[in-house]
Amino acid sequence: MAAPSMAAAIAASLPTPQSAPTPSAPSYEAIPASMSKVIDIDVEIPLTHVQLDGLVVSKIIKHSRESGGSSAHGLLLGLDFDGVLEISNSFPLPHHFTDDDDKSMKGVARYQASMLRSLKEVQADDSVVGFYQAMTLGSFYSQSLVETQAIHQDKLRHGGVVIVHDISQTARGNATFHAFRLTKAFLDAYKKNNFSTDSLIDHRLTFSSIVEEIPLRIRNNPLLSSFLETLQSTSPAVGNTIPPQATATSSIPHSFSVLNLGTANVTRNLEQIVEAMDSYKTEEGNLAYLQRQIAREKARADAYVAKRKEENATRVTQGLAPLPEEDVSRLFKIPPEPSRLESMLLLGRIDAYSKSLEETSGSGLVKMYAAKAGATV
Amino acid sequence: MPLAPPSSAVHVQNATPGFLSSPGRSPSFVTVHPVALFSILDHYLRRTDAQERVIGTLLGTRSDTGEIDVRSSFPVLHSETDEQVAVDMEYHRNMYELHHKVNPKEVIVGWYSTGSNLNTYSALIQNFYTQETAPHQAIHIAVNTGVEAGQPAGVKAYVSSPVGVSPKPENAVFVPIPCELRFKETERSGLDLLLNASSQSSSSAHPSTDLDVLESAIQSVYDMLERVLTYVRSVLAGEVKGDAAVGRYLMDTLGQSTDDLEKGGFNASLQDTLMVSYLANLVRSQAEVSARLALTASVPK
Repeated sequence: MAAPSMAAAIAASLPTPQSAPTPSAPSYEAIPASMSKVIDIDVEIPLTHVQLDGLVVSKIIKHSRESGGSSAHGLLLGLDFDGVLEISNSFPLPHHFTDDDDKSMKGVARYQASMLRSLKEVQADDSVVGFYQAMTLGSFYSQSLVETQAIHQDKLRHGGVVIVHDISQTARGNATFHAFRLTKAFLDAYKKNNFSTDSLIDHRLTFSSIVEEIPLRIRNNPLLSSFLETLQSTSPAVGNTIPPQATATSSIPHSFSVLNLGTANVTRNLEQIVEAMDSYKTEEGNLAYLQRQIAREKARADAYVAKRKEENATRVTQGLAPLPEEDVSRLFKIPPEPSRLESMLLLGRIDAYSKSLEETSGSGLVKMYAAKAGATV
Repeated sequence: MPLAPPSSAVHVQNATPGFLSSPGRSPSFVTVHPVALFSILDHYLRRTDAQERVIGTLLGTRSDTGEIDVRSSFPVLHSETDEQVAVDMEYHRNMYELHHKVNPKEVIVGWYSTGSNLNTYSALIQNFYTQETAPHQAIHIAVNTGVEAGQPAGVKAYVSSPVGVSPKPENAVFVPIPCELRFKETERSGLDLLLNASSQSSSSAHPSTDLDVLESAIQSVYDMLERVLTYVRSVLAGEVKGDAAVGRYLMDTLGQSTDDLEKGGFNASLQDTLMVSYLANLVRSQAEVSARLALTASVPK
């Protein structure tokens, strides 16, 4: 199984949380009084925002597109400052865990360590604050994501965040990023490694309460802003004619891909919903089977106890010594309650798929009416 | 999509130098991916006070037609003094190896520096990178960050040829070649997001919903129609002399047949979309109900 090995590899190489490096001055200097309020050494200020740098945005998009599918993941680097987690850099993690676990695990850990060291040498941020994960059609729930984040939340300052990026939505013309972390209730259940029905009820867990979203902002540094501005501004072409707009060129021309009616994704989306439903059904079947097995074993144990009691009662009336009450748990192996984590994640996936389907069809409706209005004029 | 103001310079194709056995064609055209560009800018921002300019390695792919696609870049440590220039070659090799692990398709194609100052040291560094990319030629990209007054921001690409009777590494002619910004259409929306972020005063933006994006797109189409309409009206009124080319463009664009829409294609499509929307809603509520049921179905005790 590849997933736990990756999580473990990340965990192995994570630095232990250290005192906050001050963004303005090297950490060995005294923190100026004006800054003492916003720099928290003891991790006291809760995170209110996640701030994503333009560089990270484009890096994630590039990596996600190139690896195609939802396999792209990498680490986020940055600092937290006055409740805002500033993510200023990222790097992709290699993805091929085909050879034996131990070797690839060590490979990833080594890769990560040397990458961090290299970044430090060129004055880039080198503290890990979370990881990113690409997804398609809005669904990101998976065991490995949950596992990795659970480890992060234990080890990193502020628990770290996971940023998910939807490739298919970006292709539709709306790049989206969401920052998440696991909720306390889920983490509690996860640590106890108990996802039985009782535990779910105790923690009030449904798929919607696995993660909580943290508001996210995109920020460009001033240099990038001004550069983009230059790229976007139209420069007059040689040989000017009227009207000037028609011949002006720009590095980044207007794009109207948002207006494409394109419903190609809908079929794929529907297929994925059906697929997820199928696996959910299988999972439910497994759970029900285990549940029945438990019930059967329990019934047998109960019957045994009842029989023994009855026997004892008759022996007592006959004046004989009662037989000892044996430990039933040793005679009957009652299997442990099955974990409902997988089925919960599958439900979450179904919900996410249909949500993205809903959004596509919603905006599709608007586009259709817009096209019709244009046609009838 | 050119990266710099158009120039009237003729891009000379340098003939294959006699002593360089270059397989394939020499680079004739360079495309730069935004990520590479943004990394360079970020590196420039993080330079130390002592550094005048920063340099780094460009990674990308080569095509047979002599086109080079720069896909990413990473910074390399270097120091320049009056007497000497030093590039941390070990660092460069390490970083390349790390990048290679994740993205085996990208190879070293050249190097970048900030500022548009080409000097002896540039020639020396170019010489080093030519060894790295051998047997292909290395390209050099000079990014002007636009920080210094009087110099517009822009990107220029060069290849080098040796100069002089007896070629020395510190002598080279940098020949400019055309350079463009290129990205996939599917990545366009990410760039839009950044453009949005930089146009807002606080320099920060929240990712918006699909409908918001759609609304702004429709709004901009609306504005354009408005502009065309004003132009056409003024031509009709005789205020402006009409341009035949514009007229033909308008004819082509607006004269598209919409028969299909009127012949019931719209209704059929509308029904499909509504059906899909209904289905999506149904699935969502089922999933929600199922999750809640799992909570209530407690084990009888």
